[in-house]
Amino acid sequence: MDPIRRKLLKTGAAATAMAAAQSVFAQQAGQRGSFYEKGPVRIHYEEEGSGFPLLLIAGGGLNSTIAGLRRPDPFNPFEEFKGEYRCIAADLRNANGGQSSGPLEVDRPWDSHTDDQLGLMDHLRIDKFMVMGFCIGGPFIWNLLERAPDRIVAAVLAQPSGSRPEARDLFYENNIKGWGPEFVKRRPEVTMETVDRYLTKMYRTNPDFVFTVTRDFVRNCRTPVLILPDDIPAHPYAVAMEAAMLAPKAEVSMFPWKEPKERIPLAVRQIRSFLRAHRLASS
Amino acid sequence: MPFYEKGPVRINYEEAGSGFPLLLIAGGGLNSVMAGLPRSPFNPIEEFKGEYRCVYADLRNANAGQSSGPLEVDRPWDSHTDDHLGLMDHLRIDKFMVLGFCIGGPFIWNLIKRAPDRVVAAVPAQPVGFRPEMPTVLYDGSMTGWGPELVKRRPDITMEMVEKYLTRMYRTNPDFVFTVTRDFVRKCQTPVLILPDDVPAHPYAVAMECAMLAPKAEVSIYPWKEPVSRIPLAVRQIRSFLRAHRPPASASA
Repeated sequence: MDPIRRKLLKTGAAATAMAAAQSVFAQQAGQRGSFYEKGPVRIHYEEEGSGFPLLLIAGGGLNSTIAGLRRPDPFNPFEEFKGEYRCIAADLRNANGGQSSGPLEVDRPWDSHTDDQLGLMDHLRIDKFMVMGFCIGGPFIWNLLERAPDRIVAAVLAQPSGSRPEARDLFYENNIKGWGPEFVKRRPEVTMETVDRYLTKMYRTNPDFVFTVTRDFVRNCRTPVLILPDDIPAHPYAVAMEAAMLAPKAEVSMFPWKEPKERIPLAVRQIRSFLRAHRLASS
Repeated sequence: MPFYEKGPVRINYEEAGSGFPLLLIAGGGLNSVMAGLPRSPFNPIEEFKGEYRCVYADLRNANAGQSSGPLEVDRPWDSHTDDHLGLMDHLRIDKFMVLGFCIGGPFIWNLIKRAPDRVVAAVPAQPVGFRPEMPTVLYDGSMTGWGPELVKRRPDITMEMVEKYLTRMYRTNPDFVFTVTRDFVRKCQTPVLILPDDVPAHPYAVAMECAMLAPKAEVSIYPWKEPVSRIPLAVRQIRSFLRAHRPPASASA
């Protein structure tokens, strides 16, 4: 073999080995702060606790990051569930304030994130899991249920996002101002025109219901879901309740469940019972 | 139909299904009978017999029921709790769960007070409670809707006895859930799932006060009975709650 080529190969192998070692080290260094990589996608994730896997998705729209889950408002799901579950959470690809990055897939915005969530579970060698998501976690969860119905044992949608007929453009407007400008500052290869195309596909192309699936899908969904409605502009009560009434295995919390604050423990206990009931049913 | 008998008490009961024991208590105040269960907002026998050993009985001295016994004027609530616990003893059931409608609420709290180690989890549905603005609604309801018919059937019982019994039950220190104090609920370690209602005899405020006080309480959506299409959501919540708190098969009674 050409000695130069041999040297290059050796160097490459060494680099690969070093990267692998770093990855192992990163994972051994603590449960927090590992990366899952696939092609140009790099997802920062954390794990806490042990037991049946529970994927946690933070709120915050396209700025959904792990840090959002660790805030006490409305409750910290790591703290509540790490005693019983292997809790896994990731920064959303390209969220400002997070450490995950990857291409902006303008033709498949929702699916690109679902790729990351399923890819992370594959990376962790997790087949079946439960999922709990806040806000934007709602549409993500429905997309997960559509794409991996046999892997998701049960799902909890807390204060889920939905399309409000009287404010169809709300999410587009929020993100074109609250996420896009900061994102293009950090990523010079991305333009606001690309952001506009991405957000248009995500929130303005057939905006309705929960964005990612149809009413017909929900009507036929066999996965148990627990929905905790909210009623702020981005989290319409009507859509949350419509999904709860349609899904044949849905449960729903009281409403409101966040105010007064003393009600939050009641909702957390309901989530705990729901997860236990369906974890047991699946085991 | 089997009977459980203890001294002068004779309790008509039935069982359906198999699994961890689930005591069902029908609504209907002092006319709580097994036949009332299928007429509840949902039929708990049909819903749960596939997974639980459902046990249910006519309340002692309920009109239209076949259970009978003395009218214990000094301990009305406890006399019925005696029957509930006695029936479970008779069936050699140690630990059990309980789901009760309406008057089942106060009965459940009394069961939890008297047998905290036996009641694994409890579901008070549309529970009875004391409504300060209508302080005699339960007494009046039973004085007209239960007492006269009972004394017709039972010549040994007079309306004076009925009046004493109901006074003790509903007018002596009437408050909250009748059978236990707020302090008891505040310290109660039994998981409870409360499904509030808001008719005169089932005050929403009392149901929610219990839910907020009890450290292991859960609560349903409200309203959960109207529209009727919401009832399955509540039934699914009950099913999950019971499953989550049911002991593992090896530990069951």
